[in-house]
Amino acid sequence: MTDDAHDHDDLRALLRSVDPASSLPQADPTRVARLLEDTMTHQPTDESRADGTHHRSRLTWTMAAAAAVLIVGGVFFAVGGDRGDDAPAPSAGEAPSSRAGGAAAPPVDAPLRTVTELTVAAAAANGKCLVPEAAPDVVAKQETVFDGTVQSISGSAVTLLPTRFYHGDPTDLVVVQAPGQEMDALLTAVTFEEGKRYLVAATDGRVTLCGFTAEYSDSLAAVYGQAFG
Amino acid sequence: MWHGGDVTSPARRARLEDVAAEVVEPVRRFLARRTDPATAEDVLAEVLLVCWRRLGEVPDAPLPWAYGVARHCLANAERGARRQQRVAARVATVDPPATRVAGPGDDEPPAVEVVSEALATLPAKDAELLRLWAWEQLTPAEIALVLDLTPNAASIRLHRAREKLREALRKNGLRAGHEGTTGRRKP
Repeated sequence: MTDDAHDHDDLRALLRSVDPASSLPQADPTRVARLLEDTMTHQPTDESRADGTHHRSRLTWTMAAAAAVLIVGGVFFAVGGDRGDDAPAPSAGEAPSSRAGGAAAPPVDAPLRTVTELTVAAAAANGKCLVPEAAPDVVAKQETVFDGTVQSISGSAVTLLPTRFYHGDPTDLVVVQAPGQEMDALLTAVTFEEGKRYLVAATDGRVTLCGFTAEYSDSLAAVYGQAFG
Repeated sequence: MWHGGDVTSPARRARLEDVAAEVVEPVRRFLARRTDPATAEDVLAEVLLVCWRRLGEVPDAPLPWAYGVARHCLANAERGARRQQRVAARVATVDPPATRVAGPGDDEPPAVEVVSEALATLPAKDAELLRLWAWEQLTPAEIALVLDLTPNAASIRLHRAREKLREALRKNGLRAGHEGTTGRRKP
Protein backbone atom coordinates (compact mmCIF):
# COMPACT_ATOMS: atom_id res chain seq x y z
CA MET A 1 0.00 0.00 0.00
CA THR A 2 1.47 3.29 -1.00
CA ASP A 3 -0.55 5.49 1.28
CA ASP A 4 0.47 5.78 4.85
CA ALA A 5 -0.97 2.83 6.66
CA HIS A 6 -1.17 4.77 9.89
CA ASP A 7 -3.62 7.16 8.32
CA HIS A 8 -6.14 4.42 8.48
CA ASP A 9 -5.40 2.91 11.86
CA ASP A 10 -8.39 4.68 13.30
CA LEU A 11 -10.71 3.30 10.68
CA ARG A 12 -9.35 -0.19 11.07
CA ALA A 13 -9.77 0.02 14.83
CA LEU A 14 -13.35 1.18 14.41
CA LEU A 15 -14.11 -1.73 12.14
CA ARG A 16 -12.43 -4.15 14.48
CA SER A 17 -14.69 -2.94 17.26
CA VAL A 18 -17.57 -4.52 15.34
CA ASP A 19 -15.74 -7.74 14.48
CA PRO A 20 -18.22 -10.54 15.25
CA ALA A 21 -15.37 -13.00 15.79
CA SER A 22 -13.59 -10.92 18.39
CA SER A 23 -15.15 -12.93 21.20
CA LEU A 24 -14.86 -16.28 19.42
CA PRO A 25 -12.87 -18.68 21.58
CA GLN A 26 -10.07 -20.77 20.10
CA ALA A 27 -11.13 -24.01 18.52
CA ASP A 28 -10.97 -27.07 20.72
CA PRO A 29 -7.71 -28.81 19.71
CA THR A 30 -9.22 -32.28 19.96
CA ARG A 31 -12.02 -31.29 17.61
CA VAL A 32 -9.53 -29.88 15.17
CA ALA A 33 -7.51 -33.08 15.36
CA ARG A 34 -10.62 -35.11 14.68
CA LEU A 35 -11.56 -32.86 11.79
CA LEU A 36 -8.12 -33.35 10.28
CA GLU A 37 -8.31 -37.09 10.70
CA ASP A 38 -11.73 -37.11 9.04
CA THR A 39 -10.34 -35.08 6.19
CA MET A 40 -7.41 -37.39 5.59
CA THR A 41 -9.45 -40.57 5.75
CA HIS A 42 -12.43 -39.08 4.06
CA GLN A 43 -14.80 -41.76 2.88
CA PRO A 44 -17.17 -39.98 0.60
CA THR A 45 -20.18 -42.27 0.62
CA ASP A 46 -21.65 -42.94 3.99
CA GLU A 47 -22.59 -46.48 3.21
CA SER A 48 -19.97 -49.05 2.50
CA ARG A 49 -21.28 -51.44 -0.04
CA ALA A 50 -18.52 -53.88 0.73
CA ASP A 51 -20.18 -54.45 4.07
CA GLY A 52 -23.26 -55.65 2.26
CA THR A 53 -25.35 -53.70 4.69
CA HIS A 54 -28.09 -52.69 2.34
CA HIS A 55 -29.40 -54.17 -0.78
CA ARG A 56 -31.27 -51.97 -3.14
CA SER A 57 -33.62 -52.99 -5.85
CA ARG A 58 -32.98 -52.23 -9.46
CA LEU A 59 -35.85 -49.78 -9.33
CA THR A 60 -34.12 -47.77 -6.63
CA TRP A 61 -31.03 -47.56 -8.75
CA THR A 62 -33.02 -46.52 -11.80
CA MET A 63 -34.85 -43.86 -9.84
CA ALA A 64 -31.61 -42.56 -8.40
CA ALA A 65 -30.05 -42.42 -11.83
CA ALA A 66 -33.07 -40.63 -13.23
CA ALA A 67 -32.99 -38.16 -10.37
CA ALA A 68 -29.30 -37.58 -10.89
CA VAL A 69 -29.86 -36.84 -14.56
CA LEU A 70 -32.63 -34.39 -13.74
CA ILE A 71 -30.57 -32.69 -11.09
CA VAL A 72 -27.57 -32.40 -13.35
CA GLY A 73 -29.77 -30.75 -15.93
CA GLY A 74 -30.84 -28.28 -13.30
CA VAL A 75 -27.35 -27.71 -12.03
CA PHE A 76 -26.00 -27.00 -15.47
CA PHE A 77 -28.77 -24.52 -15.86
CA ALA A 78 -28.17 -22.93 -12.50
CA VAL A 79 -24.41 -22.98 -12.62
CA GLY A 80 -24.10 -21.67 -16.13
CA GLY A 81 -24.29 -18.05 -15.07
CA ASP A 82 -21.76 -18.03 -12.29
CA ARG A 83 -19.05 -20.36 -13.41
CA GLY A 84 -16.60 -17.55 -13.09
CA ASP A 85 -16.50 -17.50 -9.33
CA ASP A 86 -16.58 -21.20 -8.77
CA ALA A 87 -13.11 -22.54 -9.16
CA PRO A 88 -10.52 -21.04 -6.88
CA ALA A 89 -7.68 -22.29 -9.00
CA PRO A 90 -7.46 -21.16 -12.57
CA SER A 91 -8.24 -23.87 -15.03
CA ALA A 92 -5.11 -24.76 -16.83
CA GLY A 93 -7.01 -26.15 -19.75
CA GLU A 94 -4.76 -29.09 -20.44
CA ALA A 95 -6.99 -30.32 -23.17
CA PRO A 96 -5.95 -29.14 -26.58
CA SER A 97 -9.49 -29.50 -27.74
CA SER A 98 -12.33 -27.10 -27.45
CA ARG A 99 -15.19 -27.47 -25.03
CA ALA A 100 -18.44 -28.73 -26.32
CA GLY A 101 -20.88 -26.78 -24.25
CA GLY A 102 -20.39 -28.94 -21.20
CA ALA A 103 -21.96 -31.93 -22.90
CA ALA A 104 -20.19 -35.04 -23.98
CA ALA A 105 -18.20 -34.57 -27.10
CA PRO A 106 -17.19 -37.35 -29.38
CA PRO A 107 -13.45 -37.84 -29.61
CA VAL A 108 -12.12 -34.64 -31.06
CA ASP A 109 -10.10 -34.93 -34.22
CA ALA A 110 -7.26 -32.78 -33.00
CA PRO A 111 -4.12 -33.27 -35.00
CA LEU A 112 -1.89 -34.40 -32.17
CA ARG A 113 -3.99 -35.99 -29.51
CA THR A 114 -7.49 -37.27 -29.38
CA VAL A 115 -9.48 -36.44 -26.31
CA THR A 116 -12.60 -37.87 -24.80
CA GLU A 117 -14.44 -35.20 -22.89
CA LEU A 118 -16.65 -36.20 -20.01
CA THR A 119 -18.65 -34.32 -17.46
CA VAL A 120 -19.89 -35.43 -14.10
CA ALA A 121 -23.22 -35.84 -12.42
CA ALA A 122 -23.23 -33.44 -9.50
CA ALA A 123 -25.81 -35.21 -7.41
CA ALA A 124 -24.47 -38.69 -7.87
CA ALA A 125 -22.22 -38.42 -4.85
CA ASN A 126 -25.30 -38.68 -2.72
CA GLY A 127 -27.06 -41.24 -4.86
CA LYS A 128 -27.62 -44.74 -3.69
CA CYS A 129 -25.16 -47.21 -5.03
CA LEU A 130 -24.98 -50.77 -6.14
CA VAL A 131 -21.83 -52.81 -6.03
CA PRO A 132 -20.65 -53.14 -9.62
CA GLU A 133 -20.38 -56.89 -9.22
CA ALA A 134 -24.06 -57.04 -8.38
CA ALA A 135 -25.17 -54.86 -11.25
CA PRO A 136 -24.08 -56.42 -14.53
CA ASP A 137 -26.82 -54.57 -16.35
CA VAL A 138 -25.48 -51.22 -15.16
CA VAL A 139 -21.97 -52.27 -16.09
CA ALA A 140 -23.16 -53.27 -19.55
CA LYS A 141 -24.77 -49.86 -20.03
CA GLN A 142 -21.49 -48.02 -19.61
CA GLU A 143 -20.53 -46.43 -22.91
CA THR A 144 -16.99 -45.56 -22.01
CA VAL A 145 -14.87 -47.65 -19.69
CA PHE A 146 -11.14 -47.24 -19.40
CA ASP A 147 -8.16 -47.79 -17.21
CA GLY A 148 -6.01 -44.70 -16.86
CA THR A 149 -3.73 -42.57 -14.73
CA VAL A 150 -4.51 -39.05 -13.56
CA GLN A 151 -2.13 -36.64 -15.24
CA SER A 152 -3.35 -33.45 -13.69
CA ILE A 153 -6.14 -31.93 -11.67
CA SER A 154 -6.93 -28.30 -12.18
CA GLY A 155 -9.76 -26.17 -10.87
CA SER A 156 -12.30 -27.51 -13.30
CA ALA A 157 -10.77 -30.51 -15.04
CA VAL A 158 -9.23 -33.87 -14.30
CA THR A 159 -7.06 -35.09 -17.15
CA LEU A 160 -6.40 -38.80 -17.43
CA LEU A 161 -4.02 -40.73 -19.60
CA PRO A 162 -5.82 -43.92 -20.56
CA THR A 163 -3.84 -47.12 -20.88
CA ARG A 164 -6.67 -49.42 -21.83
CA PHE A 165 -10.16 -48.90 -23.14
CA TYR A 166 -12.50 -51.66 -22.10
CA HIS A 167 -15.27 -50.04 -24.05
CA GLY A 168 -15.80 -46.95 -26.18
CA ASP A 169 -13.60 -45.32 -28.80
CA PRO A 170 -10.04 -45.12 -27.56
CA THR A 171 -8.47 -41.66 -27.35
CA ASP A 172 -5.09 -40.40 -26.20
CA LEU A 173 -6.48 -38.41 -23.31
CA VAL A 174 -9.65 -38.16 -21.31
CA VAL A 175 -10.64 -34.88 -19.74
CA VAL A 176 -13.38 -34.78 -17.16
CA GLN A 177 -14.68 -31.26 -17.13
CA ALA A 178 -16.65 -30.06 -14.16
CA PRO A 179 -17.54 -26.57 -13.02
CA GLY A 180 -16.65 -25.97 -9.39
CA GLN A 181 -19.64 -27.51 -7.71
CA GLU A 182 -19.62 -30.64 -9.78
CA MET A 183 -15.88 -30.91 -9.43
CA ASP A 184 -16.35 -30.91 -5.70
CA ALA A 185 -18.88 -33.71 -6.07
CA LEU A 186 -16.49 -35.64 -8.24
CA LEU A 187 -13.55 -35.23 -5.92
CA THR A 188 -15.74 -36.16 -3.01
CA ALA A 189 -17.01 -39.30 -4.68
CA VAL A 190 -13.75 -40.49 -6.15
CA THR A 191 -10.47 -39.64 -4.55
CA PHE A 192 -8.72 -38.58 -7.73
CA GLU A 193 -5.09 -37.87 -7.10
CA GLU A 194 -2.39 -37.05 -9.56
CA GLY A 195 -0.35 -40.04 -10.62
CA LYS A 196 -2.78 -42.67 -9.42
CA ARG A 197 -4.48 -45.26 -11.56
CA TYR A 198 -8.24 -45.40 -11.92
CA LEU A 199 -10.99 -47.28 -13.64
CA VAL A 200 -13.43 -44.79 -15.07
CA ALA A 201 -16.85 -45.55 -16.48
CA ALA A 202 -19.25 -43.15 -18.16
CA THR A 203 -22.61 -43.11 -19.87
CA ASP A 204 -23.98 -40.29 -21.96
CA GLY A 205 -20.71 -38.49 -21.51
CA ARG A 206 -21.08 -38.42 -17.74
CA VAL A 207 -18.81 -40.19 -15.34
CA THR A 208 -20.63 -42.87 -13.41
CA LEU A 209 -19.80 -42.54 -9.74
CA CYS A 210 -20.98 -44.87 -7.00
CA GLY A 211 -18.15 -47.35 -7.24
CA PHE A 212 -18.24 -47.71 -11.01
CA THR A 213 -15.47 -45.17 -11.23
CA ALA A 214 -12.81 -45.80 -8.67
CA GLU A 215 -9.17 -46.21 -7.97
CA TYR A 216 -7.86 -49.25 -9.84
CA SER A 217 -8.55 -52.56 -8.18
CA ASP A 218 -8.27 -56.05 -9.54
CA SER A 219 -11.84 -56.86 -8.58
CA LEU A 220 -13.32 -53.91 -10.45
CA ALA A 221 -10.99 -54.56 -13.39
CA ALA A 222 -12.28 -58.12 -13.43
CA VAL A 223 -15.86 -56.87 -13.60
CA TYR A 224 -15.05 -54.75 -16.64
CA GLY A 225 -12.80 -57.40 -18.13
CA GLN A 226 -15.62 -59.88 -17.94
CA ALA A 227 -18.21 -57.48 -19.30
CA PHE A 228 -16.19 -56.07 -22.17
CA GLY A 229 -13.21 -58.37 -22.49
CA MET B 1 -14.27 -50.50 -0.90
CA TRP B 2 -13.61 -48.59 -4.02
CA HIS B 3 -12.45 -45.29 -2.74
CA GLY B 4 -9.05 -46.30 -1.47
CA GLY B 5 -8.79 -43.31 0.81
CA ASP B 6 -6.28 -44.98 3.05
CA VAL B 7 -3.46 -44.73 0.56
CA THR B 8 -1.98 -41.61 2.06
CA SER B 9 1.70 -41.13 2.40
CA PRO B 10 3.06 -39.79 5.69
CA ALA B 11 4.51 -36.84 3.80
CA ARG B 12 1.10 -35.83 2.53
CA ARG B 13 -0.35 -36.10 5.99
CA ALA B 14 2.44 -34.02 7.45
CA ARG B 15 1.96 -31.38 4.79
CA LEU B 16 -1.76 -31.15 5.47
CA GLU B 17 -1.06 -30.84 9.17
CA ASP B 18 1.28 -27.94 8.46
CA VAL B 19 -1.24 -26.24 6.25
CA ALA B 20 -4.01 -26.82 8.78
CA ALA B 21 -1.94 -25.34 11.58
CA GLU B 22 -1.76 -22.09 9.66
CA VAL B 23 -5.20 -22.10 8.21
CA VAL B 24 -7.78 -23.62 10.55
CA GLU B 25 -8.08 -20.90 13.16
CA PRO B 26 -8.12 -17.93 10.77
CA VAL B 27 -10.55 -19.60 8.39
CA ARG B 28 -12.77 -20.49 11.32
CA ARG B 29 -12.87 -16.83 12.25
CA PHE B 30 -13.38 -15.80 8.66
CA LEU B 31 -16.46 -18.04 8.53
CA ALA B 32 -17.77 -17.07 11.95
CA ARG B 33 -17.83 -13.49 10.73
CA ARG B 34 -19.85 -14.31 7.67
CA THR B 35 -22.30 -17.08 8.39
CA ASP B 36 -24.12 -19.07 11.04
CA PRO B 37 -22.18 -21.56 13.22
CA ALA B 38 -23.53 -24.71 11.55
CA THR B 39 -22.67 -23.53 8.06
CA ALA B 40 -19.30 -22.32 9.31
CA GLU B 41 -18.50 -25.78 10.61
CA ASP B 42 -19.54 -27.48 7.37
CA VAL B 43 -17.61 -25.07 5.23
CA LEU B 44 -14.48 -25.36 7.36
CA ALA B 45 -14.55 -29.12 6.78
CA GLU B 46 -14.96 -28.52 3.06
CA VAL B 47 -12.06 -26.12 2.96
CA LEU B 48 -9.83 -28.70 4.60
CA LEU B 49 -11.00 -31.30 2.14
CA VAL B 50 -10.10 -29.01 -0.74
CA CYS B 51 -6.66 -28.48 0.83
CA TRP B 52 -6.26 -32.22 1.08
CA ARG B 53 -7.37 -32.94 -2.45
CA ARG B 54 -5.36 -30.13 -3.98
CA LEU B 55 -2.41 -30.27 -1.67
CA GLY B 56 -0.06 -29.72 -4.58
CA GLU B 57 -1.72 -26.40 -5.35
CA VAL B 58 -1.57 -24.99 -1.83
CA PRO B 59 0.92 -22.10 -1.92
CA ASP B 60 3.69 -21.64 0.63
CA ALA B 61 1.72 -18.85 2.23
CA PRO B 62 -1.56 -20.75 2.34
CA LEU B 63 -3.79 -18.29 4.14
CA PRO B 64 -4.99 -15.93 1.41
CA TRP B 65 -5.49 -18.92 -0.86
CA ALA B 66 -7.46 -20.68 1.87
CA TYR B 67 -9.63 -17.60 2.39
CA GLY B 68 -10.33 -17.67 -1.33
CA VAL B 69 -11.34 -21.33 -1.12
CA ALA B 70 -13.49 -20.60 1.92
CA ARG B 71 -15.18 -17.75 0.08
CA HIS B 72 -16.11 -20.05 -2.80
CA CYS B 73 -17.25 -22.88 -0.56
CA LEU B 74 -19.35 -20.48 1.47
CA ALA B 75 -20.92 -19.05 -1.67
CA ASN B 76 -21.77 -22.57 -2.79
CA ALA B 77 -23.20 -23.48 0.59
CA GLU B 78 -25.33 -20.37 0.61
CA ARG B 79 -26.52 -20.94 -2.93
CA GLY B 80 -27.58 -24.44 -1.85
CA ALA B 81 -29.26 -23.04 1.23
CA ARG B 82 -31.11 -20.47 -0.82
CA ARG B 83 -32.29 -23.16 -3.20
CA GLN B 84 -33.54 -25.28 -0.35
CA GLN B 85 -35.33 -22.35 1.13
CA ARG B 86 -37.06 -21.63 -2.13
CA VAL B 87 -38.11 -25.23 -2.52
CA ALA B 88 -39.45 -25.41 0.98
CA ALA B 89 -40.99 -21.97 0.54
CA ARG B 90 -39.63 -21.09 3.90
CA VAL B 91 -39.54 -17.51 4.94
CA ALA B 92 -37.07 -18.06 7.74
CA THR B 93 -33.95 -16.03 7.20
CA VAL B 94 -30.51 -17.19 8.10
CA ASP B 95 -29.41 -15.46 11.23
CA PRO B 96 -26.73 -13.00 10.39
CA PRO B 97 -23.63 -13.34 12.50
CA ALA B 98 -24.26 -11.62 15.77
CA THR B 99 -22.58 -8.30 15.99
CA ARG B 100 -20.34 -8.01 18.92
CA VAL B 101 -22.00 -8.37 22.23
CA ALA B 102 -21.39 -5.34 24.33
CA GLY B 103 -18.66 -6.07 26.80
CA PRO B 104 -17.70 -4.47 30.07
CA GLY B 105 -16.87 -0.82 29.77
CA ASP B 106 -18.84 -0.56 26.58
CA ASP B 107 -20.48 2.73 27.27
CA GLU B 108 -20.67 3.66 23.63
CA PRO B 109 -22.97 1.17 21.95
CA PRO B 110 -24.12 3.84 19.50
CA ALA B 111 -20.62 3.99 18.02
CA VAL B 112 -20.69 0.27 17.38
CA GLU B 113 -24.11 0.55 15.82
CA VAL B 114 -23.08 3.43 13.66
CA VAL B 115 -20.08 1.53 12.34
CA SER B 116 -22.14 -1.58 11.62
CA GLU B 117 -24.79 0.46 9.90
CA ALA B 118 -22.28 2.39 7.87
CA LEU B 119 -20.65 -0.86 6.78
CA ALA B 120 -24.06 -2.21 5.83
CA THR B 121 -24.80 0.76 3.60
CA LEU B 122 -21.72 0.15 1.47
CA PRO B 123 -21.92 -1.96 -1.69
CA ALA B 124 -21.25 -5.61 -0.83
CA LYS B 125 -17.90 -5.67 -2.59
CA ASP B 126 -16.63 -2.61 -0.76
CA ALA B 127 -17.78 -3.96 2.57
CA GLU B 128 -16.04 -7.27 1.91
CA LEU B 129 -12.80 -5.50 1.01
CA LEU B 130 -12.97 -3.60 4.27
CA ARG B 131 -13.70 -6.72 6.26
CA LEU B 132 -10.75 -8.53 4.72
CA TRP B 133 -8.58 -5.54 5.48
CA ALA B 134 -9.74 -4.84 9.03
CA TRP B 135 -10.91 -8.20 10.32
CA GLU B 136 -8.65 -10.62 8.49
CA GLN B 137 -5.95 -7.93 8.48
CA LEU B 138 -4.82 -8.67 4.97
CA THR B 139 -2.63 -6.47 2.84
CA PRO B 140 -4.02 -5.28 -0.48
CA ALA B 141 -1.87 -7.88 -2.26
CA GLU B 142 -3.38 -10.61 -0.12
CA ILE B 143 -6.88 -9.26 -0.62
CA ALA B 144 -6.20 -9.42 -4.34
CA LEU B 145 -5.48 -13.13 -4.03
CA VAL B 146 -8.66 -13.79 -2.10
CA LEU B 147 -10.89 -11.84 -4.44
CA ASP B 148 -9.20 -12.71 -7.73
CA LEU B 149 -8.17 -9.14 -8.40
CA THR B 150 -4.89 -7.62 -9.46
CA PRO B 151 -3.00 -6.14 -6.51
CA ASN B 152 -3.34 -2.75 -8.08
CA ALA B 153 -7.10 -3.04 -8.40
CA ALA B 154 -7.36 -4.27 -4.82
CA SER B 155 -5.33 -1.27 -3.64
CA ILE B 156 -7.46 1.20 -5.49
CA ARG B 157 -10.74 -0.37 -4.48
CA LEU B 158 -9.66 -0.59 -0.86
CA HIS B 159 -8.75 3.07 -0.94
CA ARG B 160 -12.15 3.98 -2.35
CA ALA B 161 -13.98 1.68 0.04
CA ARG B 162 -12.28 3.39 2.98
CA GLU B 163 -13.32 6.76 1.65
CA LYS B 164 -16.89 5.56 1.25
CA LEU B 165 -16.90 4.21 4.78
CA ARG B 166 -15.58 7.48 6.16
CA GLU B 167 -18.26 9.31 4.26
CA ALA B 168 -20.97 6.98 5.57
CA LEU B 169 -19.67 7.39 9.11
CA ARG B 170 -19.66 11.12 8.74
CA LYS B 171 -23.24 11.07 7.52
CA ASN B 172 -24.22 8.96 10.49
CA GLY B 173 -22.63 11.43 12.82
CA LEU B 174 -19.53 9.51 13.76
CA ARG B 175 -16.28 11.19 13.14
CA ALA B 176 -13.58 8.79 12.01
CA GLY B 177 -10.97 11.46 11.87
CA HIS B 178 -7.33 11.30 12.61
CA GLU B 179 -7.55 11.93 16.29
CA GLY B 180 -8.07 8.34 17.20
CA THR B 181 -10.86 5.88 17.49
CA THR B 182 -13.09 7.77 19.84
CA GLY B 183 -16.52 7.72 18.38
CA ARG B 184 -18.73 10.70 18.94
CA ARG B 185 -22.39 10.48 19.40
CA LYS B 186 -24.77 12.25 17.17
CA PRO B 187 -25.20 15.86 18.21
